[in-house]
Amino acid sequence: MLEAGLCSYVMISYGQSGRSGDSMMQVLAALSGDDIVYGHFGAAGGYALAARRAMHEFRTGPETWKQIAVGQRKWANLNPRAMMCGRAMTGEDYDRSALVVEPFRLADNCLVTDGGRACIVTTLERARDLRHPPVVLMGLGMHHPSADLAGARYLAGPTGARRAGATALRMAGITLDDVDACEIYDCFTYTVEITLQDYGFFGPGEGEDWFRGGTIEPGGRMPVNTSGGQLSESYQMGLTPLTEGVMQLMGRCGERQLGPATGNRTPEIILCSDNGGILQSHACCILGRG
Amino acid sequence: MTYGKPLPKIYSDAREFREGCLEHELRIQKCGGCGHLRWPPAFLCPRCLSRDTQWVRASGRGTVYSYAVYHVAFDPAFKEDLPYVVALVALEEGPHLLTNLVGCDPGAVSCDMAVEVVWDDVTESVSLPRFRPAAG
Repeated sequence: MLEAGLCSYVMISYGQSGRSGDSMMQVLAALSGDDIVYGHFGAAGGYALAARRAMHEFRTGPETWKQIAVGQRKWANLNPRAMMCGRAMTGEDYDRSALVVEPFRLADNCLVTDGGRACIVTTLERARDLRHPPVVLMGLGMHHPSADLAGARYLAGPTGARRAGATALRMAGITLDDVDACEIYDCFTYTVEITLQDYGFFGPGEGEDWFRGGTIEPGGRMPVNTSGGQLSESYQMGLTPLTEGVMQLMGRCGERQLGPATGNRTPEIILCSDNGGILQSHACCILGRG
Repeated sequence: MTYGKPLPKIYSDAREFREGCLEHELRIQKCGGCGHLRWPPAFLCPRCLSRDTQWVRASGRGTVYSYAVYHVAFDPAFKEDLPYVVALVALEEGPHLLTNLVGCDPGAVSCDMAVEVVWDDVTESVSLPRFRPAAG
């Protein structure tokens, strides 16, 4: 639309009162349909089914997910806007976290928050004329493998991330080696693992080793969810990862800004993901410094 | 005692399934065009788009594709059942069915374990298929 001249600016926005109101509960109730007959509700149960199947098919489980939860919390502790800023999480805290829907503990679940996010898209020519440095959309890929959970055979991967990621990388003309950081849709810890696995950062079952040693944390070799993400900052659907990717490339992230202060490379390219249903739809978006 | 949990909504695609449940028969759809056995019910085949649909009786045997153990009652009516098991059962005919696993300790469940249907007549007009570890 922008290139065709049909509009000059597009705002992508999201807002919700999930915490103070019941909007998120209404969304999840509508998703559940007749599954509630069996006591199956919302997203936690569906992702728990996916994660359990993954535990059966390859090496994964709480030891892997703990590193994701704890790593992202370290980023949240650098982000004054994060709901969990000021609250540290150790591995022991994770282990003590209450079981919700096994295999998930509370610490594997994203937050329910109030808030909103927006970003504005325009032509690069116009963006270069504005006050802040622009960020460029380098590549985009989508893949939506199924509308129905019971019909799904890919809950342990490959999810839609496999094809969406390959498409986005091809469009951007880069490989994973060129990616400086990832902002991954993280409704649950397992979602981060299966998404990175399907993008090809590691093979099935290699996640526990890949995450070990603070890979995704401040100073790690592949920073992931640098705002704290949906697990520790705020749940704003796909705009949690997308806006953080944009803000990092603009250099507007304060104490958590990737660069010398965090012990990371100053980012040129950031990969963002979005995901819907129970791993039923996926979008990958590669952003570059403009 | 009245049944306090949610009941299935009646929709036309699933009527044959619900009627089968009352007779303790697990019915799934078979495409008259390509023979594909499917669940959930739909008015056309997701493989070949044929509207020629038959209903066939499934054996009621299958394996656990995956399962989740609920430790929180998102609806208070389920509180008495905690912890309870929701499972995706892979029927031996092929389709997967979301259901409950009953009659065994949640800690004893594993993926791919053999299970069989057990009928729960929750009201006069609704019977639900749940599954338990297969005998023998």
